Amino acid sequence: MPDAAHKTILIDPVTRIEGHAKITLHLDDHGRVEDARFHVTQFRGFEKFCEGRPFSEMPALMARICGICPVSHLMASAKACDALLAVRIPPTADKLRRIFGLAQVVQSHALSFFYLSSPDLLLGMDADPASSNIFGVYEKKPEVARDGIRLRQFGQQIIERLGGKRIHPAWVVPGGVSEPLTELNRDAILSAIPEALAIAERTLEWFKGITEGFREEIASFGNFPTLFMGIVKKDGGLTFYDGGIRIVNSAGDVIANGLDPAEYQEYIGEKNETWTYLKSPYYMPKGYPDGIYRVGPLARMNVADRCGTPRADQELAEFHELQRTAVLSSFHYHHARLIEILYCVERMEQLLTDPEILSKHVRAVAGPNREEGVGCCEAPRGTLMHHYKIDEQGLIRWANMIIATGHNNMAMNRGILQVAKHFVRGERLTPGMLNRVEALIRAYDPCLSCSTHAFGEMPLVAELYNSSGELLDHARKPG
Amino acid sequence: MARILVLGYGNPMRSDDGLGWQIAVELFRTNHSPDVEVLPCHQLTPELAPTVSRADVVIFVDCEQGGTPGEICCREVRCEATPLSFTHHLTPGALMALSSELFGACPRAWLLSMQGQEYSAGDSFSPAVAAHICDLRARLQRLIQEGQGSTSVAC
Repeated sequence: MPDAAHKTILIDPVTRIEGHAKITLHLDDHGRVEDARFHVTQFRGFEKFCEGRPFSEMPALMARICGICPVSHLMASAKACDALLAVRIPPTADKLRRIFGLAQVVQSHALSFFYLSSPDLLLGMDADPASSNIFGVYEKKPEVARDGIRLRQFGQQIIERLGGKRIHPAWVVPGGVSEPLTELNRDAILSAIPEALAIAERTLEWFKGITEGFREEIASFGNFPTLFMGIVKKDGGLTFYDGGIRIVNSAGDVIANGLDPAEYQEYIGEKNETWTYLKSPYYMPKGYPDGIYRVGPLARMNVADRCGTPRADQELAEFHELQRTAVLSSFHYHHARLIEILYCVERMEQLLTDPEILSKHVRAVAGPNREEGVGCCEAPRGTLMHHYKIDEQGLIRWANMIIATGHNNMAMNRGILQVAKHFVRGERLTPGMLNRVEALIRAYDPCLSCSTHAFGEMPLVAELYNSSGELLDHARKPG
Repeated sequence: MARILVLGYGNPMRSDDGLGWQIAVELFRTNHSPDVEVLPCHQLTPELAPTVSRADVVIFVDCEQGGTPGEICCREVRCEATPLSFTHHLTPGALMALSSELFGACPRAWLLSMQGQEYSAGDSFSPAVAAHICDLRARLQRLIQEGQGSTSVAC
């Protein structure tokens, strides 16, 4: 535990992530990093203020948790409500929800990879922060910027076609979806698939070609043993919509399989720390903090035996060759993200050409039949769980959510410590040092909820204090 | 006839900040012209660049801070690659730059704005903005009509 006699570096706020956070780096007397903390400084209270609301409002209400991944919250919430209704939704509704979720993954991954992380990959970790953005990308490699914009637009337009609007659509409802897919919209989505596939494939090729230049980052960006968690189909295939929880260890061995997400409290504990509003979930059989695990693209690639689509399966097999054990470096989140984009586009095409997809039977209607329900899906950033309890009138009396970024909280903290120990030296911070610490966090693509509209700048501030609390260095990066 | 794109943007849950969004929503509901595309949005994002590149004239509608509340201003937008590290939202000039650089077209563009007064959480406009909202609608209609006739718009 750091004390006042040691020096502290504060990075506040962290930039190019979804939301607000700061990092403190604690130095020992020799100026070496001895501890690091990732503080999530937002408090939003969704689990409390929904109490007393009708459960049927939950999907639309919970979608407001995030402006980037509202669809995932909508999905997990609707699935929790399906459980409260005790219904099995119509097959077409199931497929439409899957397409909706896949489109969400594409647009969110495109934002993460192209807008937020590609500046680091293309311009380098030591690039001028003023040019580390989409404009810097288009100056260096305009086709990458153009592809990123096109791909995100592709995902958003599918969400808009299905849900009526691209942010906070309320189309997913308890029991299914509110409207069937029209032939016009199906054909429009299908017509855009070839371009999206081509973008996904050439981006993967480009990324694989540049990773050699990031050996140091691969070795030091969250490259340590943890467990990995995600949902998989019964046959071990990749899924974003439903399945059983699988956990693999760092050797790549499956240590738990087919766990029921509805019983998550049997195997996931949630630890609260005083220095952050983000909970720290852990795998209970291993205890805290040894039960540290990662979720999200890297974890999904580690837990899945196959993707189930031709091109993504080839890429997954190649990905598994990166390491004989599980793939451990968090730098590979980027690679995993690109494989998932490819999978999502391929899978959407499969679903959209299903003969049932235009069926008008898309919603099961029922009243509440259970007092407790859990909904779980894979959001872009990892496993998402919504858990509700209702009273006899169908009003929410208790809610709990575990969001992907929460699952990754312990791993992000440990990763920041690793990267800071490797790159931060002495009593001065360089932009390159700061950016590498931030880049590690960006690899996880944490979503600290960006739905709160903020005015003004979001600068990065780093402060360095000596053992007497005197300010030694101060760095500010414009927002 | 020239293709007009109206982009009204802002946060409708932040009082006057939602003005551009609200104006665009109203226009979206009443617009019957196939040559006028109306997009209400919360922010200007890079994904709008392909849409911008297909228009002949772009009209941004926004609420700005800093001047006399209720004052209406119209100015031409020039391409500008504004340095920024947070890329969820762009300035009109930055969006035009992306359209030009990546999608090969930089149509003429105007920013029609009103000075706001109240930006706290809320879904109604301040009295100063509410008092001039009809003027803003009328000004927007004139801009659209002039834009449809030619790309020379008298702001």
